[in-house]
Amino acid sequence: MAHTRRFLPALAGMAIAVLLSTGAQADRAARDAQDAAAARMVDTATFKQDGPYRIGVSAGYMSNSWVVFALQHIRWEASQHDEVSEVIVTDAAFNPAKQVSDIEDLLRQDIDLLLYWPVDDAAIADVLQRAVAAGVPTINTGGGFADGPGTVANAYISQWSLGEDVARRLMKDLGGKGRIIAMLPIAGTTAAVDQLDALNTVLAEYPEVELLTAEYGDWNRAKAKQITENLLQRYPRIDGVFSPAGQMSIGVAEAFDEAGRLDEVTMSPGDEYNGWLKWVAEHKQGGAVPFPTRAGQVAVQIGLKILKGEPVPRGTAVTATFISPETVGEYVEMDAPDDWWASKLPPKFLPPR
Amino acid sequence: MALGTAALHPAWRRLDLASTGIWLLLGGVALLAAICLPQFREVENLANIVRQSSVLGMLAIGQTFVILAGLIDLSVGMATGLVVVLTCALVDGDSAMTLPVVLLMLALGAGIGAVNGTLVNVLRIHPLILTFGMLFVLQGAIFTYADRSVGRASAPLQTLANGDLLGIPIAGIAVLLVLAVAHFLIVRTRFGHHLTAVGGHAENARRAGVNVRRIRFLAFVLSGLSAGLAGLILAGRLGTGYPLAGSGLELDAIVAVVLGGTALSGGRGSVIRSVAGVLVLSLASNLLNLMDVSAFVQTFTKGVIVIAVILANQPRRMAMAA
Amino acid sequence: MTGPAASPALRARLDRLLAANAIFVALLLVWLVGAAGSEAFVTPGYLFNVVRQIAPVGIAAIGVTYVMILGGVDLSIGAVISLTAVFCAVQMDGDAANTLPAILLTCLVGTAIGAVNGALIAWSRVTPFILTLGMAVAVYGLTQIYSGGTARGTVAPGFRDLANTRLEGLVPVLAIVFLALAGIGLAIQKMTTFGRQLFLIGSNRQAAILAGLPVRRTTVIAYALAGLFGALGGIALLARSGVSSTSAGQGLEFQVLAAIVLGGTTFEGGRGGIAGTVAGVLVLVMAFNLVNIVGLDYHLQLVVMGAIIILASALYGQLQARTGRA
Repeated sequence: MAHTRRFLPALAGMAIAVLLSTGAQADRAARDAQDAAAARMVDTATFKQDGPYRIGVSAGYMSNSWVVFALQHIRWEASQHDEVSEVIVTDAAFNPAKQVSDIEDLLRQDIDLLLYWPVDDAAIADVLQRAVAAGVPTINTGGGFADGPGTVANAYISQWSLGEDVARRLMKDLGGKGRIIAMLPIAGTTAAVDQLDALNTVLAEYPEVELLTAEYGDWNRAKAKQITENLLQRYPRIDGVFSPAGQMSIGVAEAFDEAGRLDEVTMSPGDEYNGWLKWVAEHKQGGAVPFPTRAGQVAVQIGLKILKGEPVPRGTAVTATFISPETVGEYVEMDAPDDWWASKLPPKFLPPR
Repeated sequence: MALGTAALHPAWRRLDLASTGIWLLLGGVALLAAICLPQFREVENLANIVRQSSVLGMLAIGQTFVILAGLIDLSVGMATGLVVVLTCALVDGDSAMTLPVVLLMLALGAGIGAVNGTLVNVLRIHPLILTFGMLFVLQGAIFTYADRSVGRASAPLQTLANGDLLGIPIAGIAVLLVLAVAHFLIVRTRFGHHLTAVGGHAENARRAGVNVRRIRFLAFVLSGLSAGLAGLILAGRLGTGYPLAGSGLELDAIVAVVLGGTALSGGRGSVIRSVAGVLVLSLASNLLNLMDVSAFVQTFTKGVIVIAVILANQPRRMAMAA
Repeated sequence: MTGPAASPALRARLDRLLAANAIFVALLLVWLVGAAGSEAFVTPGYLFNVVRQIAPVGIAAIGVTYVMILGGVDLSIGAVISLTAVFCAVQMDGDAANTLPAILLTCLVGTAIGAVNGALIAWSRVTPFILTLGMAVAVYGLTQIYSGGTARGTVAPGFRDLANTRLEGLVPVLAIVFLALAGIGLAIQKMTTFGRQLFLIGSNRQAAILAGLPVRRTTVIAYALAGLFGALGGIALLARSGVSSTSAGQGLEFQVLAAIVLGGTTFEGGRGGIAGTVAGVLVLVMAFNLVNIVGLDYHLQLVVMGAIIILASALYGQLQARTGRA
């Protein structure tokens, strides 16, 4: 129902990745264990079969531009393989019970491969195991690394590496000293926990940089703006902003601008959200550490390998090169909407604009 | 006045599509699905539909009681969510904990209903507004307790939600049992007669010696109890305590009840037809999924269906003063 | 009319006075608490900023107030805000020349949705609560279909700059727009036949029908105005923070309702008005800002909002029962 949707974008964050209950000191050991788990090879022999293949996509939610672009990457990649006969998409609209039903319905339609992004990992763990038991390989698409028995392989993005990269570049731009604020996604999500942990790890090397406060803007531009307006009241001087999500970075930068204090602040890199890239192009500052929407494309490639019985690693990290203020011209689309992602999608597969 | 209404009643019933319409609709949707989609007819798919319907089925039964009494309960979705979260957190995968937690949760559901019933009686505010406010209070309570998935359902709960008995889904059997009790309560007991009397015309019922406050209180308690039952099944189905698990279920339950021909103005309706309404909604959703209809279109369609159903189910009598 | 004894009459008058002005007392109290706790509350720049923050919700609340005076409700307003924000951006298409036509067209869309709500309610006996809830789902689906899941559209250059400028470096244009629209809303309520009929119909529908008042026409106009102000709220949201999602307005209907009920317009209808709503909006936003400064989290804000809706409804209901109805 409508009233909860205010929360739902917020919960998207929880959905995007496996949740960690540990605080800011998520230890190195856990990350090493994850890297080791991701590198392990998967025995794909049991899934080997001949085409044509029907690909099922169970979307936990679809009302989000990143997800729309990831899905278009799935469609684009599928169109390049003749052995793929069909892509069937269901949308749970943030309802985990509906996602369970959706996956059950997809399995009834004899799909050969299941790509998914969860509303909630734990809620679909059981039905995913049933899918694997029925011989349908499952691939967690986008977001964090999932290691449950119901997930055969991952096309994932590491929030920690992303946060570390953003933090290091901010430190460099700040010249190694100053007072900064951090704008994070929803409290408690892997994204927020890992980004803050990465920032703190980097900050340990820079004793002259002080973290004034870490705030949670819930991936919401308006909320990030409102929070920053309050912070500007509270702190007479802010030298830098750590904000890996471009969508929130714009809200933060706008608040500084409207307070007439944009000159005093150094913005960290965001991601390749088009609205943010426009800001980078205009202000020649910040840049972008991408959160690649082509994770969808990678997921299809992994899935087809599995169906052909080729070995794949349990986790494939999807990365992309840094977009600097100098190179941003190659990525930004000044005429496209803000809510848009820089990508290599051919025009035919771009969402309507 | 009361006499006139009573005399008119049988005539209306004969014209009333509300009591037969739902069966035609259910048959129509099922036939359409069976003809168009070969997968639909598979036994496993039918079992899926029954399992998918069970949570909403429980809620629709509870909602029928409040609506029959001329009330409404918008807090059941979040009450269900609270039960899901607490069940998983307290049981945390331990089968031995199942029974005490189940009893506790049924008490919790009934307790939430009791609070609603008491406040409606004491504060004298419209049940829509009260339960609407309660929805936020419960949502806030859930998120204060847990802002992410917590705990794990136990094996017995998962069997309840996903298991079979002689090939029939256990959750479906549970709904049938509750349905039988509910139907008996409404049709065969004094409480049931009072319930419909209060919903039909509270003032007349009061004059006839019915304790209106007590009936309203009990209707809310039963609605809360159904949220407890629904929450237990949903906990087993999800396997984890997801904070927003119950979000939006109240609207679906109301739509199912109204689809079953129960009047929103109260006094007229049937739990059996409410459950048929749930089956229609589940069949439609299953059908749209199997036909690969875009989820955005599904959302739009759902809204239009709600509006159409509400319009088709307007109160048939003019307002009393007219 | 029987002549009541002097002391109950005095008491009824006091009650009525209290019922009519409670929100303004509350506004003063919240402000004093804020001023005691934080210097920001006595800084004009901050206060105007608070008004600007709440402008989208405040503007939408003006229109819904009419519907509630009538005894109805509009839960589709959040969905209308979402749809109109995206729609307006698409119509602007990044060209300054499109600004005015886009705004007009957006207002038309909002008004049309409101008029559909109004017509369905006027010519049937359905519960507005459930009907507009269904409309919310339908409009939300429509927004998704229309946008395909990404917030399409590019805001015209200059539009957001204008809305976010501060006149004399102090008063944001958006805050002025909100206050001006509230003024227009108040004028409609106080100075038009429509405004007077709203209260008559809201306080006693049957009597209004018997007296031959245009109940249906008034209903359609009230809901159409709710849609229009919803669209203006959507445009204000677009101006304040750009489009960044297809569900930017989702959930705002509850802030709208809480503010209105707080302002003394009840779900039963027949009382309240725009002035109270504006005060209610300001109380709500100041309370939320206070809560932020204190550090109370969003979840408890929800509990507070739920409690406000229940208690304010109950309180006004009791006062109304004691003072008797018009």
